[in-house]
Amino acid sequence: MKIFKLLLRTTLFLVLMFSLVSGLLAQSAVEGKTLYQANCTSCHAINEKVVGPALKDVHKRREEAWLVKWIRNSQKLIQSGDPVAVQLYKENNESPMTAFEQLSDVQIKSIITYIKSESEAPAKTAVIAGTTAAVGPTDAKESEFTDSINWLLVLISVLLIAVIIYVFGILSKIGDIEGKKTINWNSINSKLMLIFVVVGLLATVWEFMVHGKLTYFNEGSASVHGEEYDNMFMITLVITGVVFIITQILLFWYGFKYKADGKRKALYYPDNHKLELWWTIIPAIVLTVLVIRGLITWTNMTTKPETSSRNIEVFAYQFGWNARYAGTDNKLGRHNFREVGKVNPLGVDTNDANAYDDIVVSELHLEVNQPIEMSFRAKDVIHSAYFPHFRTQMNVVPGLPTRFNFTPSVTTAEMRTKKNDSNFDYILLCNKICGGAHYRMKMKVIVDTKEEYQKWLSTQPALVAGKVSNSPVAMN
Amino acid sequence: MSDHNLTHGHDDHEHEHHEEGFFSKYVFSMDHKMIARQFLITGIIMGTIGMLMSLIFRLQLAYPDMKFPFLEGVLGHWAKDGRLDPNFYLALITIHGTIMVFYVLTAGLSGTFSNLLIPLQVGARDMASPFMNMLSYWFFFLSSVVLLSSLFVDGGPASAGWTVYPPLSALPKAIPGSGTGMTLWLVAMILFIASALLGGINYIATVLNMRTKGMKMSRMPLTIWAFLVTAVLGLLSFPVLLGGSLLLVFDRSFGTSFYLSEIVAEFAGGIERTGGSPILFQHLFWFLGHPEVYIILLPALGITSEVIATNSRKPIFGYRAMIGSILAIGVLSFIVWGHHMFITGMNPFLGSVFMLGTLIIAVPSAVKTFNYLATLWQGNIRLTPAMMFAIGLVSFFISGGLTGIYLGNAALDINLHDTYFVVAHFHLVMGSAAIFGMLSGIYHWYPRMFGRMMNETAGQIHFWLTIVSAYCVFFPMHFMGLAGVPRRYYANTAYDQFNVFVDMNEFITIAAILGGAAQLIFLANFFYSMFKGKRSVQNPWDSNTLEWTAPVEHMHGNWPGEIPHVYRWPYDYSKPGAEQDFIPQNVPDAGQNDPMEDAVGLPKVSVMSSESVHA
Repeated sequence: MKIFKLLLRTTLFLVLMFSLVSGLLAQSAVEGKTLYQANCTSCHAINEKVVGPALKDVHKRREEAWLVKWIRNSQKLIQSGDPVAVQLYKENNESPMTAFEQLSDVQIKSIITYIKSESEAPAKTAVIAGTTAAVGPTDAKESEFTDSINWLLVLISVLLIAVIIYVFGILSKIGDIEGKKTINWNSINSKLMLIFVVVGLLATVWEFMVHGKLTYFNEGSASVHGEEYDNMFMITLVITGVVFIITQILLFWYGFKYKADGKRKALYYPDNHKLELWWTIIPAIVLTVLVIRGLITWTNMTTKPETSSRNIEVFAYQFGWNARYAGTDNKLGRHNFREVGKVNPLGVDTNDANAYDDIVVSELHLEVNQPIEMSFRAKDVIHSAYFPHFRTQMNVVPGLPTRFNFTPSVTTAEMRTKKNDSNFDYILLCNKICGGAHYRMKMKVIVDTKEEYQKWLSTQPALVAGKVSNSPVAMN
Repeated sequence: MSDHNLTHGHDDHEHEHHEEGFFSKYVFSMDHKMIARQFLITGIIMGTIGMLMSLIFRLQLAYPDMKFPFLEGVLGHWAKDGRLDPNFYLALITIHGTIMVFYVLTAGLSGTFSNLLIPLQVGARDMASPFMNMLSYWFFFLSSVVLLSSLFVDGGPASAGWTVYPPLSALPKAIPGSGTGMTLWLVAMILFIASALLGGINYIATVLNMRTKGMKMSRMPLTIWAFLVTAVLGLLSFPVLLGGSLLLVFDRSFGTSFYLSEIVAEFAGGIERTGGSPILFQHLFWFLGHPEVYIILLPALGITSEVIATNSRKPIFGYRAMIGSILAIGVLSFIVWGHHMFITGMNPFLGSVFMLGTLIIAVPSAVKTFNYLATLWQGNIRLTPAMMFAIGLVSFFISGGLTGIYLGNAALDINLHDTYFVVAHFHLVMGSAAIFGMLSGIYHWYPRMFGRMMNETAGQIHFWLTIVSAYCVFFPMHFMGLAGVPRRYYANTAYDQFNVFVDMNEFITIAAILGGAAQLIFLANFFYSMFKGKRSVQNPWDSNTLEWTAPVEHMHGNWPGEIPHVYRWPYDYSKPGAEQDFIPQNVPDAGQNDPMEDAVGLPKVSVMSSESVHA
């Protein structure tokens, strides 16, 4: 009994300590959203190191001319043997910065000016609310908490080890006194099995009720095929849910019910062919249903629709996205990977007549209820274009064109109302590990009504504006 | 009730083998029992490292804005000012995955128990080739050293995920870890494959050729069946990964383009690469990668079958169906690799075929689960730590297996691929289940390995803390996945819509730390019992299989006299009419003179009795 009490106390103590730590940590500040615009945010922030170093006061650390050279092509500067550049490269684990040859001197200088203004502004980044909106505003006493937390962690480890050594001391002493069984562990453990399955299943139900609301099924799909997807998911959920509950209950219930009590002998029951046949056939039938349903869904999702779709190309690079619209002719111009990155970030063949009216953007606008034929291209490594709200994903593979078609069915404005969140936006995420800033590689997606879409499109310049006779007009 | 003779056994042992030097006994040993212990201890060390890595990146995921100065002390420039570098985060998840999948759950699990149990349970003096067996361990050891050394090179270790997809893994310009670190990863993997193949050939040869008299295939314990099929899977699939890795070496070092296409010279080390296919690597990788899941899982299921039968004091239910399921899973595992690639742009028809195969695997898996339940039913269950971990395995196998039905469905995979739903799925069905199988095996065969008992109470506490924390860590992840949170993200802070999971991430990390701390109990128990544990009796669990007929003290050749003959299947527990509730395999029935005859009154299980069997 002594050990049991001791262990109980230890556990309680540990749980207390952990909840204390978590409580303290919960108040810490989350990073700010005040990042500046343009090409830099996937790797840099003003006040903190991301993949690249923090940019605060960079105008004080380096000369402007040097900065311009570095930003344009850091590798060239390093190769030229510039000591500052070489040092910087080493400090950042030889992770090269993307070259920005397409930017003019004026553009680069304007970025530096922006960084300057941000550096001088009071540090806003530390203010933004802590964990969730529910927690409310918190103050950023980051470093104070950090110190105490680290000490707590060390303390906990030391205590834990001490406790374990102590417990083992006692356990071995008890082990020496043979034949004296004070605790019936078999009985305690079998009861714990029962408690475990009951508490576990209740926790599962709680999770579905609370966390289930956080999933994308809560607001429904934003694409036409997504409804079929959600149905398929729910059918699978019901079937697997029933199996889950029954089998887990049986498993732990048997663990409880049939514990050895020293009075009974187990039943010698090596097989029963009828029973085995049944539990082979029933899963087989259920799975056949799921397979057939799944195949229908899969075929519907991957077949090209007959209606004329709008062609949009999505282009992925470390660490960002671009989109290219086919323009009035609904034909995308040819491309060549060797042309990528100089004047022409997507490597579009500007001599191809189909390319004249193409439009390149860094924010994806889609028209509601308009079928899209989306093709994907990557510059460097494999990325994955993931649109969770549209139930759409496709890998973006260098040298291997891929495509996916879907029809958005809910506009951004409608979804904001539905979610009751005026800041909500659809997103395109990168969902295939692609390098250090993979976790920030995203593009905003906006689903417009037809009118809004036309209006937006008319403000976008064509790729080779001089050769397009009319001002850009949307198709259809 | 310690046997008096046993207390002196150790000394006698020392005298018997005085001609053996320290090196030939403990280091370059060719004895399968010593090699098993070497695999196990190396596996435990690697597992500890892999788990500590996971705690570091869990800290980052829960507290992306927090500074942990102690991290700078541990990781140096990879955690400047106590903030983890995003590139190093990717390195950590890569090495964590590699260590857990290959070094712990393949070598640590299959290596340990195949080595320990195959000769002892089939009744052989040692492996078919003890020398190859020794080489197998040392290749594994070398591979571990190379992998760990990659943590200290410039640019850091491999960081392209444990699946190392090119071009990310092929081009040092894509990520710093694809420099020297990736080269070392490939070297480590090639050494590992050599180890796995040397071991696998040996296991197969031993099982097929060295069974004792009477040990028909139809009388083999399910552990041996599982190890045999595992070895065959490894033998057929690891060479494909070897080929795939070599081509990646060529692409990285010799300027070829097997996996690279449309990559400009500037990005690809000065040579333009075109004409290859990055998807080819994925096919080669997953041709190993999917059978690998079963290479991990089958030994764990084999161990569970043995442990559940022994501790329920009941024959395993549906012995033949269990063998059939193992074989079916083994065969099917070779035609389903494409379900990892549904959204790579493969032909949708091909996707349908892979989907069909994948979902069919659920049938033999379901049969196994139901058979475990039927074995427990009306049993006389002894809740030893081994038994509890075996029950935990079944629980994880159900929870994680069911989510496989979502992911194997090509349509549903579109939105679930590479999200936390997948992380939850495979950590339950492959990670937790296989680790529980391994722990179950350790608790069960510890007396066989070290001649001493582990502390039971500590083992039971270890079980409860581990199962609770594992579920707390992995179950909530399903919901993150269903909100579209991608895996392998350094932080979710760039996405407002993921802010709702901040609390959940903290909870998961705290549960992971608690789960990690619980493993200290195991480690203390393991190493303490090795020297101070209660001495074991010969057959502590009243088990039927042959390994418990050998003396507690290890000896070359396993049995002092003749190898015991086998007269019956291994699951005669609680047989009506018998005095005790177990009848070891080497006990003949009344009137049974020839071991090859079926024992009187036994259930007919000899489907494959026509196979020739020689001692």
